[in-house]
Amino acid sequence: MYLLEHDAKELLAKRGIPVPDGRLVSRDETIDRRALPPGPWVVKGQIAAGGRGKAGIIKLAETLQDVTNHLNAILGATVKGRTVESVRVEQQVKAVREIYIGFLLDAGSGGVRAILSASGGMEVEQVPRDQIHTELVRPDVQALAACVDRLAGKLPPEISAAAREAGHKLARAFFELEAMLVEINPLFVLEDGRWVAGDARIVTDDNALPRQKELEALLRTRAAAYPDVARKHEHGFDYVEVDADGEIGLLTTGAGLSMMLIDELRAVGLKPFNFLDIRTGGLRGETRRLTQVLQWIGQGKKVKVLLVNIFAGITDLGEFSQLLVKALGAANLKTPVVARLVGNGLPVAREVLAASGISLHIDLDDALAAVREHLAQQTGGRQSGSAGDGKR
Amino acid sequence: MSINPRIDRNTPVIVQGITGRAGQMHSRLMMHYGTRIVGGVSPGAKVGEVNGVPVFAHCADAVATTGARASVLLVGAMQLLEAMQDAVAAGVRYLVTPTEGMPVHDALKAWKLCRDTGTVWIGGSTPGMAIPGEVKLGFLPDDSLKPGTLGLMSKSGTLSYEAGFRLALRGVGTSVWIGVGGDPVKGTRFADLVPFYAGDANTAALLIIGEIGGSEEEEFAKALIENKFGKPAFALIAGRSAPEGVTMGHAGALVHGSHGTYAAKRAALEAAGVQVFGSLNEMVAGVSARLPQEFPKSLPSIKQL
Repeated sequence: MYLLEHDAKELLAKRGIPVPDGRLVSRDETIDRRALPPGPWVVKGQIAAGGRGKAGIIKLAETLQDVTNHLNAILGATVKGRTVESVRVEQQVKAVREIYIGFLLDAGSGGVRAILSASGGMEVEQVPRDQIHTELVRPDVQALAACVDRLAGKLPPEISAAAREAGHKLARAFFELEAMLVEINPLFVLEDGRWVAGDARIVTDDNALPRQKELEALLRTRAAAYPDVARKHEHGFDYVEVDADGEIGLLTTGAGLSMMLIDELRAVGLKPFNFLDIRTGGLRGETRRLTQVLQWIGQGKKVKVLLVNIFAGITDLGEFSQLLVKALGAANLKTPVVARLVGNGLPVAREVLAASGISLHIDLDDALAAVREHLAQQTGGRQSGSAGDGKR
Repeated sequence: MSINPRIDRNTPVIVQGITGRAGQMHSRLMMHYGTRIVGGVSPGAKVGEVNGVPVFAHCADAVATTGARASVLLVGAMQLLEAMQDAVAAGVRYLVTPTEGMPVHDALKAWKLCRDTGTVWIGGSTPGMAIPGEVKLGFLPDDSLKPGTLGLMSKSGTLSYEAGFRLALRGVGTSVWIGVGGDPVKGTRFADLVPFYAGDANTAALLIIGEIGGSEEEEFAKALIENKFGKPAFALIAGRSAPEGVTMGHAGALVHGSHGTYAAKRAALEAAGVQVFGSLNEMVAGVSARLPQEFPKSLPSIKQL
């Protein structure tokens, strides 16, 4: 889970890492001026992606009127395909230096990559190589802290102590939170030698949520900020709406195959609505999960056809088909259904689906041809009856 | 790093978590395929036998009694690290872990344990491995497993089932099939297996099935060059149309920066002489055109199924 800056800063502050005093303002709130820390401020749009400054959703504000103006401009804006749902308004910091410090889990080598640089405040990729100090270490807190000491020793003396202290606290946070990435960029160093985290980026491991109670609580209270992770955590499978204007609802299993299907549909100009890894093995003879997914797909305003594509290694397709037919009824999904199934129990599946008027294909290309036919029919129907918006 | 994943039908295998729902089913299916399942492990085992093989409370007892050399771990994600430690302590040096959702910091510990002890670890989040026609560890579907000369490695389970199935229909079978799994920290990566496939006499060509995110495809390309891999190499990469930074199921598909994008992977692979495909149909046509047809008459056409 890629944490929003605000949440990352709150977690770091609890671990003794100073952050500028700030407040979160959501789209549906009116700002309480008395709750703001004293100005001047920086107004920071919260999305789970970097490059926010360049995208124009981080602005300086000298007056409360500036704050209001920036809030109006930033809240609700769409940046990198994401809508800005909230903004952190925080105190500006007068820094004399800006450092970069980050720890990244290095999957290929089974270790942690520590990176320290005297030049922070921008993308670390753009800092000249000789100004970046980095080391790959064993994944434990003592090794990482010792590494921080070595790397901080290479920095100019006036910032070395700040980097060391921040690095030690950040190393503890990395392991406590079971993070995949923690990064403070910039780390502001003040004139008197004190330091403050100007920005914070944390990517946590969703798999660790069952034992990361603090993160689980965060996800519960801020579910709207992390809809995909919250949905997965609650329901136990992956579902992502990939195109609000998508015309093809997908009932699919397996992340790789579902991704590939989306690629192939888009390559021929078709518009999938969602990504789904339903995990047929997890259905356990119940329709609950299927019904839920079909309801979400039914909410797609432009969804015209449902494509079911299941390659079942183990799942019995006869049983699956019975569940599907029940779930379609329960979810009250009115769109036509095209099914493509491969695996055990096909003869029963064919009978069950045929009884509900659903055609079954073995070849994916045949299924896609059927999908196109349904799309063409509906588009044709709408064109001929231009006043009949109600009868989709 | 070089890993030899080859086992055979004589390798004695245990199933950890054999009394669970998945353990009971998949131990039966593996036995049916030809895998020599000799026992199972279940902490606090109250059941004496599952599918005709004895169940033990600890790996050490299972190994002492059965001589097991490999283990398939069908236990919960939060118990997986401990079960792996139990197996390695008992002397098992070949682990396959289909379990999805192992915490990544646990995977780091498991990774170190396996490297320190010389243990082959395939997974996590893997459908397993197979030498088609002989043995399988995990739950690769039999419909996709046809003996042949194409080495196959995949991050994704379902996409590899589909690919293997369609290749088989075109007469292309597999020599050694390894599901490396979709987790970011894993026991065996594409690159780790390049030396093995390069030297394997039964492998004539190699296909990887990857997806956006991580750096494995790029590492694989580098390993091909370093090992002077002389056989045809192919890649199918999923996720070319995914928006940057959206996780799709596998944590491994989280794209950090430009590394891990479809374009970056394609460029690295092509520079290493790999033929890269963007769709299943292209891949099947491209691979089968460059490999000898092995058993075209033994299979029905797709329309007849």
